[in-house]
Amino acid sequence: MSFNRRDFIKTLASTSVVFPMVVRASPSAGKARVVVVGGGFGGATAAKYLKIADPGLDVTLVERNKQFVSCPLSNEVISGHGKYEGLLAGYEGLVKRGVRVIFDDALAVDPAGKAVKLKGGTTLGYDFLVLSPGIDFNFAAIEGYSEALANTTHPHAYKAGAQTLALKKQVESMKDGDVFLLSVPPGPFRCPPGPYERASQIASYFKHHGKSKCKILIADANDSFSKKGLFEQAWKMHYPGMIEWVAGASGGKVVKFDAKSNTASSDFNDFKGAVVNIIPPHHAGLIAMNTGLTNDKGWCTVDMLTMESTKQKDIFVVGDSTIHGDLPVYGAPKSAHMANTQAKVAVANILAKINGQPAPEPFFVNTCYSIAEKDWGFSVVHIYRAKDGKLVYDTKAGGISPVNLPDEAALKLQRKLESEYCIGWFKNIMADAFA
Amino acid sequence: MKRFNTILATVAALGLSAASAMAGPTEDLARSCNACHGLNGVSVGPSMPSIAGLPEKYLKNVLLQWKSGERYSATMGRHFTGYTDEELSKLATYFSKLPYVAVVQPADDKVIARGKEATERCETCHGATGGAPDDDETPKINGQWAQYLEMELMKYRTDSVKMPHKKMRGNAKKLADEDVAAVAKFYAAQPK
Repeated sequence: MSFNRRDFIKTLASTSVVFPMVVRASPSAGKARVVVVGGGFGGATAAKYLKIADPGLDVTLVERNKQFVSCPLSNEVISGHGKYEGLLAGYEGLVKRGVRVIFDDALAVDPAGKAVKLKGGTTLGYDFLVLSPGIDFNFAAIEGYSEALANTTHPHAYKAGAQTLALKKQVESMKDGDVFLLSVPPGPFRCPPGPYERASQIASYFKHHGKSKCKILIADANDSFSKKGLFEQAWKMHYPGMIEWVAGASGGKVVKFDAKSNTASSDFNDFKGAVVNIIPPHHAGLIAMNTGLTNDKGWCTVDMLTMESTKQKDIFVVGDSTIHGDLPVYGAPKSAHMANTQAKVAVANILAKINGQPAPEPFFVNTCYSIAEKDWGFSVVHIYRAKDGKLVYDTKAGGISPVNLPDEAALKLQRKLESEYCIGWFKNIMADAFA
Repeated sequence: MKRFNTILATVAALGLSAASAMAGPTEDLARSCNACHGLNGVSVGPSMPSIAGLPEKYLKNVLLQWKSGERYSATMGRHFTGYTDEELSKLATYFSKLPYVAVVQPADDKVIARGKEATERCETCHGATGGAPDDDETPKINGQWAQYLEMELMKYRTDSVKMPHKKMRGNAKKLADEDVAAVAKFYAAQPK
């Protein structure tokens, strides 16, 4: 053992002394039951921080899968720059913290009776519910595409898992000169820069595997995209002529797909590819829709400052299924970091309610890294604060990484640092949710 | 890799046992730092520094310098322009009071010896093994993540980005290219 165990024990001992400000649970708080549905970045973080805030709380997490597969860094797995195993996490860490983890499918919520019904037959009563169901896909929006195709010949790979590996295999089977067609749905979708990072990563795979004549065609339903200047700069520098982007206004919005001829069509264009990767439009996870928490566009509306559903009391919704705020373009972005920060705000509000305290002032932060090529990363930062009872994006802070820097050395340094910070961020945010 | 996993498991075990402060606005702010810097400021991602237990004055300086742009940062400046000076000051105090956890990262004996030799100029301010800084404005660097330390040295060695500490910049630039990683690994391997 290369560690000095005694040092660690010493540190542990001192740790318990230097935290005088732990919230002490009121006697009733110990009995409060909180159910968390969905064990992704939002739900797992909420379950963990509920237990940290008050170990006496009765916290149950309901999750479908025994293993979590992260979407962040899954594009790097498709390109071969990252390993699939690195995307995985289990729920043992939460169990050790005293969270009761139930692997089951949450079927329905009864907001009036304050209970969640599970497929296995159990009904869980709750005082507070944290719903973090992520997204589900609207396959019907693209005629000819389907869940069956996604699970077999045409993975979307926009929920990481078996489809990530299936798409990786397809990319690897491409011949030099082939076209990879990527269809981007109308916003909002999870991970706003995700499709463009995917295009970059696949270009990187082509470049480094003797397939430089391959092309990537992005058929986009939208007229702009996240970190556009940074991506376009990276594409020009690292993959000149390889990636073509067709905006929605230029007929990029795919509405039809023919699997036999591998042709995706908009109202104006037919796009063909050796591999066609269709990311279908999303909406909030089905359980949120079935519980009546969504608006007419299929997203959960929440109190911007507390994350409590505007439709049902004592249900807090966090993560990708929410439309968080009325900020441009689609409210706060759907990212792992946003889910993490929203979960912490929801926890603070649940604790305040249990202990009869006023709602705490929220603080939301988002950091989202993309890696366009080895040693070439960049980010966007958002800071949101409460102002006059509303969530406000601080336009003086945040923003994207600088596109231009004083010289080449500074540019390379900036991109190198952020490509490495991306990996460090990932390890810490995974631990913040699951360890 | 196995060794790295052992390190992570130990850091994780520490996080698990540590109670966390959760009440009040500074704690609410501090909790959001965990996402990148680890629970209670102890990082498990080698490119991200642990921030717990660093000297208060040092933390206050860098936080404010990032905010003003006086010190180059790839990401942090964009965060801190969204905080008031008072909040940053309180965060610095908060993290300085958490225990410093050296994450000792073993390295090859030859690399450590080479690193030690190259740190002659560092000793006056950081102490022989990085754990006994000369004053409250100088960070502890023993058991800090090697990758992070190496990347910080890269900043100091790049002329075209703004770094405020003349002496540190001068000494960082005096290092031979091939010694930079060794210096980082030397300090990372020190328990104290």
